[in-house]
Amino acid sequence: MSTIAETASRDRTRRRMRVDGWRWAGRIFLAFMLLYTAVPMIWMLITSIKSGFAATQFPPQWWPDEPTLASYQKLLDPQNSVGQDFLRFFWNSLFVSTVTTILSVIVAVPAAYAFSRFSFPGRNFLFFAVLLRNMFPAVIFLVPLFILMRVLGLMNTHGSLILTYLTFGLPLAIWLLKGFYDNIPVQLEQAARIDGATRFQAFILIVMPLSTPGIIATAIYSFIGAWNEYIYAYTFLSKNEQLTLPVGIQRFFSENTTDFPGLMAASFMMSVPVVVLFLVLQRYFVRALTEGAVKH
Amino acid sequence: MTIVTGKAEARRTLQPGRPGVLRSIWEHRADYAYVLPAIAVMLIVIAYPIYYTIELSFFKTPPGLQLRDKTFIGFDNYTTILTSEVFWTVTWNTLIWTLGSTLISFVLGFATALALHREFIGRGVLRATLIIPWVISAVAASYIWKWIYHSDFGIIGAVLVGLGLADRPPNFIDNVSTVLPSLIVVNIWREFPFAMIMMMAGLQTVPDQLLRAAKVDGANAWQRFWHVTFPHLRNVSVVTILLLAVANFNSFIIPWIMTGGGPSNASHIWITHIYELAFGRQRWGVASAYSVLLFLTLMTLGYFYVRALTGNERKEGSA
Repeated sequence: MSTIAETASRDRTRRRMRVDGWRWAGRIFLAFMLLYTAVPMIWMLITSIKSGFAATQFPPQWWPDEPTLASYQKLLDPQNSVGQDFLRFFWNSLFVSTVTTILSVIVAVPAAYAFSRFSFPGRNFLFFAVLLRNMFPAVIFLVPLFILMRVLGLMNTHGSLILTYLTFGLPLAIWLLKGFYDNIPVQLEQAARIDGATRFQAFILIVMPLSTPGIIATAIYSFIGAWNEYIYAYTFLSKNEQLTLPVGIQRFFSENTTDFPGLMAASFMMSVPVVVLFLVLQRYFVRALTEGAVKH
Repeated sequence: MTIVTGKAEARRTLQPGRPGVLRSIWEHRADYAYVLPAIAVMLIVIAYPIYYTIELSFFKTPPGLQLRDKTFIGFDNYTTILTSEVFWTVTWNTLIWTLGSTLISFVLGFATALALHREFIGRGVLRATLIIPWVISAVAASYIWKWIYHSDFGIIGAVLVGLGLADRPPNFIDNVSTVLPSLIVVNIWREFPFAMIMMMAGLQTVPDQLLRAAKVDGANAWQRFWHVTFPHLRNVSVVTILLLAVANFNSFIIPWIMTGGGPSNASHIWITHIYELAFGRQRWGVASAYSVLLFLTLMTLGYFYVRALTGNERKEGSA
């Protein structure tokens, strides 16, 4: 008896040690990933509160002797030419991203609904054509779009960017939303229609509210994509007053190559809106991916 | 996957005879209204550019965009590309860049997802922190890392010198042999969170009962992972890897901003090279021919992508 109990308990401790081994490996790995992820961001923040002189010291000041918010003040001061530019880029980015987001939801929702509910000829072909868009790099479309935008008279306008950005967001948006609509029982709509609702009413009153998380995820994705986009903005816009943030910052700092605190402060402020937006709404995003994309 | 049911259904509706197709298109005419806006945008911004790129690739084009003066030269642009030395350097770089970034991002992302799967205090905060690099603009990321790699004031160089591992800060991105790996590190920094999110979502679909049953049967942690979890995640993994591969193949911002392809083409990948040919040297015809080659490569990848997406379907369809 006692021997059996002994072996059993020894077995248990051994198993616990094995499990603990994996758990420790996991913890160490997570600590490493946290360092890898966070150190660059922390270093960006620390640099951004240094003076230009303090940033260019060797060995570096791990924490600035005299922390200063001068870089931020300069960027946010509308009296100053740097601040004027930065704020204008910021508003341009906000405008382009917001319009893109609204339009892509308006376009993606009905399309995803149709792909999920109707079976019209060519549906699969069209669906994959939409998905395949994801495969092709911006550069392929750059030259022809450059010419197209000139023909349409959209060169140097935000319209050229909005039209282009719409197509980035759409494939994933449609894919995610379709997953959502597949999950909403058709019976709900049928019940509403028996009660006298039109297809459109059933869609607006029943389906739309149920797919809100999907719509939010779609919106975040479009917004972040548009906010961060660089290559088209770099190619289509040349007037300083129209630049969006990524291009504006790049252009500004290719002229002022040594202002590292300013560059880091600008990078930080460019990241804040999307990071905040994402952190606030991330649970929708992860849920949408789970339900829409990786559903079994 | 979700597309699964779709294709089977469509096949069913399409089956009754050819003449039915036109009628069925007519019967479903209202359905097209829903997809029309999406398709219209796609046609303008995708179909037309693709057609135009292919056309341009057979022409010799004068610099400047006076494209009316182009002359037809057949496959000359293609031979120019394939016989140039730069092409092979750039192709090799693209291969290393794409494979390195994709595989390491996937492995790191998957491992992080597994490590985060267990409940513990601070898990939510940790997860959110790890996702941030993916959300940050690639332009910001490039500048942050350029500063970190800086040859005089960079933090990595300072740490290496501080630990006595180097006499003076190494020059990471102005050195032909270290530039590409250095850029890949930046790219992975931005991309592993995507793999992590996808795999976390995938992990939630692994049935708990199966894992518990395996545990009761005496399977250890590794066996449970290898025989239960991993097979369940195969489709998600394939889709994630393909999406990463395509994104990496198409990346532009990090090499462009951090090095501009230099030093001596050591960090030029296809996309940056095409961009430089087109907008830097204004060789529109050659750049278009390059784009077509790129396009063909991506079509091949795309074929596997669609196969991976519809893989389930066929299995379910036959069952």
